[in-house]
Amino acid sequence: MNTVDEILDYAIDQEQQAADFYEDLAGRVEKGGMKEILMEFSAEEQRHKQRLLAVKSGEHELTPEQEVLDLKISDYLIDVDATDDISYQDALIVAMKRERAAYKLYSDMAEKLPESHLRKVILGLAKEEARHKLFFESEYDERVLRDN
Amino acid sequence: MTLSTGHSAALDFAQPEPPDLSSGKYVKLWQGPQHPGITGNMSLELVLDGDTIVSCKTHVGYLHRGFEKLMERRSFIQNFTVVCRIAVPEPTFNEYLYSHAVEEISGIEVPERAIWLRTMNLELMRLASFLMWIGGQSGAFGQYTVPNWTLAYRDYVLDLFEEMTGARIYHMYIVPGGVRAGLPDGFEERAREIMKGAEKLLDQIERVMFNNVVFKARSKGLGIITPDMVDPYGIVGPNARACGLARDIRKDEPYLAYDRLDFETISGNEADAYGRAYLRLQETRQSINLIRQCLDHAPTDGPFQADMPNVLHWKVPAGETYVKAECTRGEYGYYMVTDGSEFVRRVHVRGPSYTHAIAVMERLAVGTNIADIAGLMVSLHTYPPEIER
Amino acid sequence: MNLRDLLSPFFVWQRAFEKPYTSIRPTIDRPGAPAYRGFHINVSEECVGCGSCHSICQNHAIDMVPAAEFEGRTGDSGLRPRFDYGRCCWCGLCVDICTAASLRMSNEYAWISEDPDEFHFTAGVDDKPWQNNEHGYRRAEGYHLYPPKRIEMDMLSPDESVQSFEEVARGYSEAQAKLEADRCVECGICVATCPAHMDVPDYIHSIRDGDYEKGLQLMYRTNPFPATCGRICTRRCESVCPVGILGEPVAIRWLKRFIVDQVDAKDYPRILNDQIIESGHRVAIIGAGPGGLSAAYYLRKKGHAVTVFEAGETAGGMLRYGVPSYRLPDADLDKDIAYIVSLGVDIRYNTRIGKDIDFEQLLQDYAAVFLSTGLSVPSNMRIQGEDHARVLSGLQVLADVASGRDPGIGSRVAVIGGGNVAMDAARVSRRLGAEVTILYRRRIADMPADEEEIHESQEEGCNIVPQAIPVEIIAADKPQQVSIKWGEAEMVQDPTGGRPRPVLQEDRMHTDTYDCIISAIGQGSDLDFLSKENQQQLAIEWGKFTPGEYQQSALQKVFVGGDVANRTADAISAIEDGHHAARGIERLLNPDGFTATQTDNTGEPA
Ligand SMILES: Cc1cc2nc3c(=O)[nH]c(=O)nc-3n(C[C@H](O)[C@H](O)[C@H](O)COP(=O)(O)OP(=O)(O)OC[C@H]3O[C@@H](n4cnc5c(N)ncnc54)[C@H](O)[C@@H]3O)c2cc1C
Ligand code: SF4
Ligand code: SF4
Repeated sequence: MNTVDEILDYAIDQEQQAADFYEDLAGRVEKGGMKEILMEFSAEEQRHKQRLLAVKSGEHELTPEQEVLDLKISDYLIDVDATDDISYQDALIVAMKRERAAYKLYSDMAEKLPESHLRKVILGLAKEEARHKLFFESEYDERVLRDN
Repeated sequence: MTLSTGHSAALDFAQPEPPDLSSGKYVKLWQGPQHPGITGNMSLELVLDGDTIVSCKTHVGYLHRGFEKLMERRSFIQNFTVVCRIAVPEPTFNEYLYSHAVEEISGIEVPERAIWLRTMNLELMRLASFLMWIGGQSGAFGQYTVPNWTLAYRDYVLDLFEEMTGARIYHMYIVPGGVRAGLPDGFEERAREIMKGAEKLLDQIERVMFNNVVFKARSKGLGIITPDMVDPYGIVGPNARACGLARDIRKDEPYLAYDRLDFETISGNEADAYGRAYLRLQETRQSINLIRQCLDHAPTDGPFQADMPNVLHWKVPAGETYVKAECTRGEYGYYMVTDGSEFVRRVHVRGPSYTHAIAVMERLAVGTNIADIAGLMVSLHTYPPEIER
Repeated sequence: MNLRDLLSPFFVWQRAFEKPYTSIRPTIDRPGAPAYRGFHINVSEECVGCGSCHSICQNHAIDMVPAAEFEGRTGDSGLRPRFDYGRCCWCGLCVDICTAASLRMSNEYAWISEDPDEFHFTAGVDDKPWQNNEHGYRRAEGYHLYPPKRIEMDMLSPDESVQSFEEVARGYSEAQAKLEADRCVECGICVATCPAHMDVPDYIHSIRDGDYEKGLQLMYRTNPFPATCGRICTRRCESVCPVGILGEPVAIRWLKRFIVDQVDAKDYPRILNDQIIESGHRVAIIGAGPGGLSAAYYLRKKGHAVTVFEAGETAGGMLRYGVPSYRLPDADLDKDIAYIVSLGVDIRYNTRIGKDIDFEQLLQDYAAVFLSTGLSVPSNMRIQGEDHARVLSGLQVLADVASGRDPGIGSRVAVIGGGNVAMDAARVSRRLGAEVTILYRRRIADMPADEEEIHESQEEGCNIVPQAIPVEIIAADKPQQVSIKWGEAEMVQDPTGGRPRPVLQEDRMHTDTYDCIISAIGQGSDLDFLSKENQQQLAIEWGKFTPGEYQQSALQKVFVGGDVANRTADAISAIEDGHHAARGIERLLNPDGFTATQTDNTGEPA
């Protein structure tokens, strides 16, 4: 993964995989109402993918400089399994953790690179993932931590 | 003239023989109900022998608005907006007495500040009312300069009311529980300024009206009230004081802040129209003095309203009371009966005009020259609206 | 006659030079005094449409009319006062009583128009030149036509209250209740806001009249749990009471309680006089919480045979096992429940649907099913070490105490959470003799718990540590203890919107050791008693049902309500859901009779 296009292709593929992951899970879950939520997650990942496709085609620019709020919620939560009877709390945890992992991956990658356009793109992707993480963490803060 | 007080056996209440109108000797003349000299809508049915009145019969009923009945169908708070209309030139006494009656029956203690503001309000009312009366008395004798002065100056007093209460005529300021507001900024200075001007005006009036040969000629000896008439006829206020009786509720049974004010009951010794007029001039000055004292003493902070129940469903406990105050014309009274409901059971409003404009007038008119009948009526200071509540 | 009397009249010339009072030309404006009672001004955004101005006007000069632009705000009737200047006498009583202080008068007093209809206008809605006039009459500071302050409820002192589970609020005396009832302005905004649309002004009126039997009858029209709600209701009515805008809202909850406390339970049958004509239909209810029992009451009144299936051994649901007895004594909850049961409601205790009887079975055996199973599963924090034996759930602690068991909390506890369950768990812990620290991730002002609860828990000595985020539970040296690692939080405005969010400050971490940690961060539903197919059919979102009209689910026969089906998760919402479902079931079972039934005060069929 040495070129900008390569890294973007990788990222786009990751988003597609995530979308597939949720769709697959949605097909398996039993709890009433979870299917809809997981399909919603999958659609969210599709939106991420569309955004990256737009970046690749030059319609859209990444914003590596922009600060993204880090709520640090997922950082301290335990890992949960994406089982068939997953609850919406756990589904959110899975989602937050996945976004966090992606964010970590890109920022670690960028750290090892010298100042370059590629580095900028990767940093931009990290910020993109940080935003996705914030999306799910805000959701968690709103819904799961409502009384808290 | 020496005057004695008390009842005289010599007083004759027998109805005089009705004049024989068919004799052709007499003329029957209606004065009013729209005659300006009547000081309101009532009429006098006069029988004249030449220029001299031989009989006078009073007729009321032109102004009946049924206030006492209206009150029986309105809540205790709503009534205070109604009562002021009972005596147009002196609405405040109705506000005070209505409120006071309700407070007495409900056991509401009015705070100190409200007591002073009420006192000042009532004295301002007396001042405004006397100013209007002076003009009326002068005008009734065909002298139209003084009425222009006093009615215009009364407007300065109404300015003070407007500032203090939000309205010029129907102030609706004194409410059950206290008053509606404290004094606005700068009120005291403006009030003192206006009092100064009023004093100067009264001096000028004394000179051009009371030392006026025509006024003296017309008013001296007119409508003499003798002390023995006072109690049998229920004569009160300046009409009684002018014949030497030192009776003033403000002094005799002090209410509000009157026991803390420095003043003396004024009484005269000439019980004719002139004597009554002169006494009223003195009382106008007295009111100015009392207003100044109120300005000196009225607290400028602290509550001006007692703790009140929710007036939307206020039930006053069952009870009965009679309360009174000294208005410009004497004892003004409210008799109130409550039955514990949201409405008053009965209110009876008794203003001094009831006797002065009817029984006293019918007696004093006899023997008077027709040209003096308006002057006579004004000299009794009557307000027909308060006869018909 | 002397010469002086002849000459002095000529001194009239002296005043010839005085300034005249009148204006030289009639066109010159003379503004009214600053506090003049002139034409009305209403600040429509502040007005709540309570209609007090309308009630006080002796001239009937005010009509309350709908004003579209201002519709829909909480605690706003959507009406605005319309003035008829053919009637008004400018007394200003309407201004004096205005609960929102939105109504004033300008000092403008001249208004000329050829069109008489113009003098009939909605102040603050119809454009008038004086609307922004800064002068004119307004109610003076310190002048009131109703008492702005509420009558204080007698409470056990915090020192006393932590000694036992005795009820903290002592109840109003008759004199106190009458004084408090007097403060109501009878606007009815509370009726619109109460989930059950209780007849608040009317039952308050019954207190003023001393007619508590009538009060009880009025309450039962919409709520068969008045003794309960009179103590623990979330009282949304009070939050919109217009008397609370300038003063304190009427203590609606305490007044409700007062009425119930005046009436002896043995007189209920005579007073409420519920005549039952059997309909022949059988309805099943799952859950004997307030939702289930409210449905049972209104269904029974319609003559349906009602069977309630309850997993536990007593009725009341979370009111029994959640709400502690110092807020809601068992005797009062029992008073409500006993009357419902006395109408012939059959409760099958220790019968869990899904275990003892199948849900499908109910669908077959009964004409309709109402389901109100509540939220019984404590949420997990999902942090490391949470499964430590010394981490207890708030619900469990409360249930233990309610059942007379010792929850074994020890003498130093930390409670996690900021909701009512957390406050209850904390205050119960105080009563069990423990020293209590409450860790909450946001600010005290953000706590979802009732303000009164927060205040009382602090008074009783609970130490609230706000902006504290737990990150890990660690085993302590002693097995009967546990440590918690938590970090301080900064509140940061989320650029994407929403309330400010707490952000953990990793450089400010603390570790404290307690005898136990009580986790009370929320609870979820347990719907495992339903088969997969049923779950799919019943439309569930975020763990809750999404009922349609009259609480009907996607399955025609099944109605859902209470905490499992509403967002507010409080007793009164559950009660209304039950009542509403009873109407829906009536519509299902008796479609012809339904429209013909009389309506109650909500406009719904009773
Ligand atoms: C600690 C605490 C404090 C609260 N404080 C207040 C307060 O101050 N004010 C307020 O208004 N609300 C308060 N609430 C909320 C209030 O208690 C609930 O909103 C209300 O009880 C909900 O009623 P419900 O009928 O929906 O469910 P619940 O009251 O939860 O009742 C559900 C019932 O269903 C039974 N059940 C569940 N599953 C099954 C099954 N499968 N088979 C048979 N039975 C089953 C349960 O055993 C339970 O009895 C509080 C809640 C808690 C936990
Ligand atoms: S000012 Fe008086 S009369 Fe006019 S609308 Fe208000 S309450 Fe009614
Ligand atoms: S009293 Fe005030 S708040 Fe209530 S409707 Fe009238 S103007 Fe609006």
